[in-house]
Amino acid sequence: MAAPKIDRSFTPIEHSEENILEVNALKKYFPIQDGILKHTVGYVKAVDGVTFNIKRGTTMGLVGESGCGKTTTGRTILRLTDGKTSGQVLFNGQEIYDLSAKEIRALRPKMQIIFQDPYSSLSPRMPVSEIIGEAVREHGIVPKEEFDDYIEGIMSDCGLMSYHKDRYPHEFSGGQRQRICIARALALNPDFIVCDEPVSALDVSIQAQIINLLQDLQEKHNLTYLFISHDLSVVKHISDTIGVMYLGNLVEYGSRDDIFDSPAHPYTEALLSAIPVPDPIVKTNRIVLEGSIPSPANPPEGCKFHTRCAKCMDKCKTEIPVQKEISPGHFVCCHLYDE
Amino acid sequence: MAKKKEVLEETTVETVETPEKEEQLALDDERRIKVLSPSMLVWKRFIRNKLAIVGSIFIIAMFVFAFIGGIVSPYGESEVFRKYTDLTKDYAGITQNTELRYSDLSATDFPSIAKAKFVMAINKGEENFKSDDGSSYTIETIGEKGEESYAIFREGTLVSIASKLIYDAVEEGYVPTLDFRYAAEKAKAAGEENFTADGETYKLAKVEDDDVIFDSKGNELIYISDFIVNPIGDSEFIPVEQKAALKEAIEKNEEKITYDGVDYKIKRENLQWLVKSGQEAYVIDTYSSPSKAHWLGTDGNGMDVLTRLMYGGRVSLLIGFIVVAIETIIGVILGGISGYFSGWVDNIIMRIVDIFNCIPTTPLIIILGAMMDAMRVDPTLRMIYLMITLGVLSWPGTARLVRGQILSLREQEFMTATEATGISVSRRIFKHLVPNVIPQLIVICTMGLGDVIITESTLSFLGLGVKFPFASWGNIINAVSNVYVMTNYLFVWIPAGFCILITVLGFNFIGDGLRDAFDPKMKR
Amino acid sequence: MADKKDLSYLSAKESRRITKENRKITKEYEKQISRKDVPESEYLTKMHNDKNILEIDNLHTYFFTDQGVVRSVDGVSFDVPRGATIGVVGESGCGKSVTSLSVMRLLQRPIGQIVDGEIRFKVDDDKAYDIAKMPIAEMQHIRGKKISMIFQEPMTTLNPVFKIGRQLDEVFELHDKETKAEDRRAKSIELLEMVGIANAEGVYDMYPHELSGGMRQRVVIAMALACQPKLIIADEPTTALDVTIQAQILDIFRQLKEKINSSIMLITHDLGVIAEMADFVVVMYAGRIVEKGTLEDIFLHPAHPYTIGLMDSKPSVNKDVDRLYSIPGKVPNPINMPDYCYFRDRCEKCLDKCDGEYPPLIKISDTHYVACYRSEDKEVKE
Repeated sequence: MAAPKIDRSFTPIEHSEENILEVNALKKYFPIQDGILKHTVGYVKAVDGVTFNIKRGTTMGLVGESGCGKTTTGRTILRLTDGKTSGQVLFNGQEIYDLSAKEIRALRPKMQIIFQDPYSSLSPRMPVSEIIGEAVREHGIVPKEEFDDYIEGIMSDCGLMSYHKDRYPHEFSGGQRQRICIARALALNPDFIVCDEPVSALDVSIQAQIINLLQDLQEKHNLTYLFISHDLSVVKHISDTIGVMYLGNLVEYGSRDDIFDSPAHPYTEALLSAIPVPDPIVKTNRIVLEGSIPSPANPPEGCKFHTRCAKCMDKCKTEIPVQKEISPGHFVCCHLYDE
Repeated sequence: MAKKKEVLEETTVETVETPEKEEQLALDDERRIKVLSPSMLVWKRFIRNKLAIVGSIFIIAMFVFAFIGGIVSPYGESEVFRKYTDLTKDYAGITQNTELRYSDLSATDFPSIAKAKFVMAINKGEENFKSDDGSSYTIETIGEKGEESYAIFREGTLVSIASKLIYDAVEEGYVPTLDFRYAAEKAKAAGEENFTADGETYKLAKVEDDDVIFDSKGNELIYISDFIVNPIGDSEFIPVEQKAALKEAIEKNEEKITYDGVDYKIKRENLQWLVKSGQEAYVIDTYSSPSKAHWLGTDGNGMDVLTRLMYGGRVSLLIGFIVVAIETIIGVILGGISGYFSGWVDNIIMRIVDIFNCIPTTPLIIILGAMMDAMRVDPTLRMIYLMITLGVLSWPGTARLVRGQILSLREQEFMTATEATGISVSRRIFKHLVPNVIPQLIVICTMGLGDVIITESTLSFLGLGVKFPFASWGNIINAVSNVYVMTNYLFVWIPAGFCILITVLGFNFIGDGLRDAFDPKMKR
Repeated sequence: MADKKDLSYLSAKESRRITKENRKITKEYEKQISRKDVPESEYLTKMHNDKNILEIDNLHTYFFTDQGVVRSVDGVSFDVPRGATIGVVGESGCGKSVTSLSVMRLLQRPIGQIVDGEIRFKVDDDKAYDIAKMPIAEMQHIRGKKISMIFQEPMTTLNPVFKIGRQLDEVFELHDKETKAEDRRAKSIELLEMVGIANAEGVYDMYPHELSGGMRQRVVIAMALACQPKLIIADEPTTALDVTIQAQILDIFRQLKEKINSSIMLITHDLGVIAEMADFVVVMYAGRIVEKGTLEDIFLHPAHPYTIGLMDSKPSVNKDVDRLYSIPGKVPNPINMPDYCYFRDRCEKCLDKCDGEYPPLIKISDTHYVACYRSEDKEVKE
């Protein structure tokens, strides 16, 4: 298989002061290496041209099935992967991939991440206070004499008790671990937090606690979230804007009401109808998608969704749809809206 | 505890807003239930493994044996033991002389052919005879018939005395001259008390049945008898008094005498007597069987096997630990770098590991051992070289493990979190990665100890590892290379083999136990 | 670490005592379990209601851990009627999975033991066994053949080195050695088609790793159906799957329910899945049943504050709330539980009476039971 030409052509965007994060035509390909000489035989197009903005103090939800590239998006915009393939990531108007290693380290506290798996995201051989406080000390966020009080303050903000300080992660339940993760991120006094499926691994009642905690903290510290989840109901609850991803593409992007009240893309529609509703009376007219998500290493030609789409047209099999604004702030990537 | 809580509950029921309310633990408060601390958890899982306990006991016993035993043992590492043994040695042969013996002036003056003619002459009773070369000899008979001796002259010169009497010199090395003998024979035959030879006057006298010749100063010079006492063994000189004693014993038909504190046994064979001395010898105490003094006996060098085992244990364990330390240090550093940085650094280090894995370890060590043999390297130095060689050859395994661990840990979200929070690289490696590798490291180090001990023993067994005077279990077992020792002196090599077995098993059991204990997925 | 006197850690002495006691107790149970040649009469029993396929009666399953005795299932009783789907809901650690493992007798021995209670299972039309008393060797004939289980993670159920077809055939072979290879193959393919695999013949010759998560779960379901079991226990069958795939699997379950004559015991934490699938619902909390009833009882007239809280804390696409209701605190660790309502500390609707002993299961309608003092006035006397 020939290596695909990496697209470097994109129109740079202008920074707008109300946006904390601007992502433009972001691509992230992972090379597939094979053979003894490890030559690249292909690319996994994990993120294949994603464009969105996040306004200060708002929450953007990013939904999609597993393997759609939402986690990679989250990590790429934090520069936690080796590099981007193309596109722009502007954080406060600053292209983060232009920064030196030293500069990016200095910027780290401002943009944080909370992970899905609360079991693997905490260093197993470190007490809680050290997990939370390590980076605080490293970046000199508070003076030494205030350090203990500061950590305790953050811990109580996140619903942890002061006696938890000397404990090790394995002694905590999932929900508490997630609180520790949040505390670790919050302790650095960030502006922007990527929440990568923070509640997926938790029980329902704990999910609600964590969601509420995130909302409270957002109000208190004026945080901006990128909330990644596969659970539409959670995303709906917490987000102001929502992006729906499918195979590395943002197929639909708009305000919460746009997405839920008037979903434009067939995939969004199917996704919405697939959610089981905890109410025996409501019987939704379910659109059951055939098959499963194709491999991002070998995505279908044309519109990547056409293999599973109920409204597939001939055009969809050959032409890649472009993002169109069907109403103010509501973007969709589908040939159905070509006029 | 439970009772106290009940009391607390009762009080809160009555007075809801008391400060005690804070003390009451809600059901979902994790302080309500005591949990096992992390170290306790590991310990609990460890002791649940029966074999691990057995292994620990083995190893502790071995340590006590090797390190404390060495101190307690009254013997030194290479102390050689000797012992006195009763050696019944052939001491002397005694013959009663009935034949004529010749004392010649020189071999040429009275050749054997002439001796034959002489015998023929006396048998015929002639006084003159001629030898083949034409020399004519005259025979002078001394003494009475039956006890006669003969003096033989060639053209007037005394060339030989043929006599049945034996002259034993009191002083070692004194050989009487021919003239002296001639004079002495004549004097004895004539019953004279004094005679002169070579210008000196000698006295012939009887001392307790023996004819003794004294010199002018009255010192005993020569004993005359008809017994020949031939010492068996090199350069042993049997004093005249002893000869006399032996002769007396033979005459009295005694079988045993004690002379000068030594027991002699006399055994008669025809006209010969064999004297055996029951002498005590001071020898190296080799292969002595287990006894009170030497619980496991002594080995081929006369050293205490038990003490050697103790010191050997020290050496084996010490080598084990040092080699494992060397391999762990190199392995962790290289494996850590390789795993953390990946890319070309990883590639280079892993190829080095491959190269090391290609080196045929055993032949290499054998060659090195042989080289050191040839260069006569000091045993201490040799031991150090051995440790370094083994350590340097065995790090790749550790490096691979550490790399693998770090590669998988690196992908864990907590490492991404450290990157996201901007923590420095060194902190990431040493505070986050290395502590998480330590459990696995401890496990393979423990297992590695057993391997190293086996390798060291093998080499020492082959004579290429630890060398004398240092003991090592391997070189103790070396004794089995001799089939006789292997079959007859089990106590020399079986205990050493047992020590190796126990120690290696012990380390492997502990390793297994630790692996289980550190594995959080283990639920047993 | 050790020098710090932390009261929340067990001391070595206490822990030794616990271990010793546990060993004594579990040894006794193990002896009971692994007996050989147990007469059938010992575990033969009678169903209380002939319509039921499974009756769990006052089941107690304890785990004798190093921290103490964990009462994972502490007096659970519910029935599984023939052909019905029972949904068991609860958060992690509430004992729902342990209940199902107790039915299968797959508890992690020796620490997990059924301490008390009966699990009556109707093996044949006129025969019922008490699974709780059966020797473990006898269970072989029940497992897979009469009761089969579907686990959360399909990859752990399928053996990665064998082809799908072989694994399916094996199930037939295990339970009926007489069949021919071709028949088995035909049966396997038929089963694969039944669970909605379009390319059944192709999948028959594939390895598990060649299939997507959804397909694997279908194969697992097919395997579970292979012997036409009377009861299928599905333990979180869709939790590891994506929403769209979950919808597919739930669809299959719904179709199967009509096709086969099996009862399903569906264990999940997702109320949405329960609402779509179940006929009867059992809500568990900390090892006990807090509420049970028909689907309508639970979803339309929930009575227990925990059930209500659980429903409110789940954000829904259909309704908008500014702030989610959240049950404070977390699920307690069921060690050394006191005798009062386990939910008391997290409950916002506590009555004075709640400080008393654990509330009994109160019957508030023919089908609806709840363990809460708040419903006492609604009690229906028989």
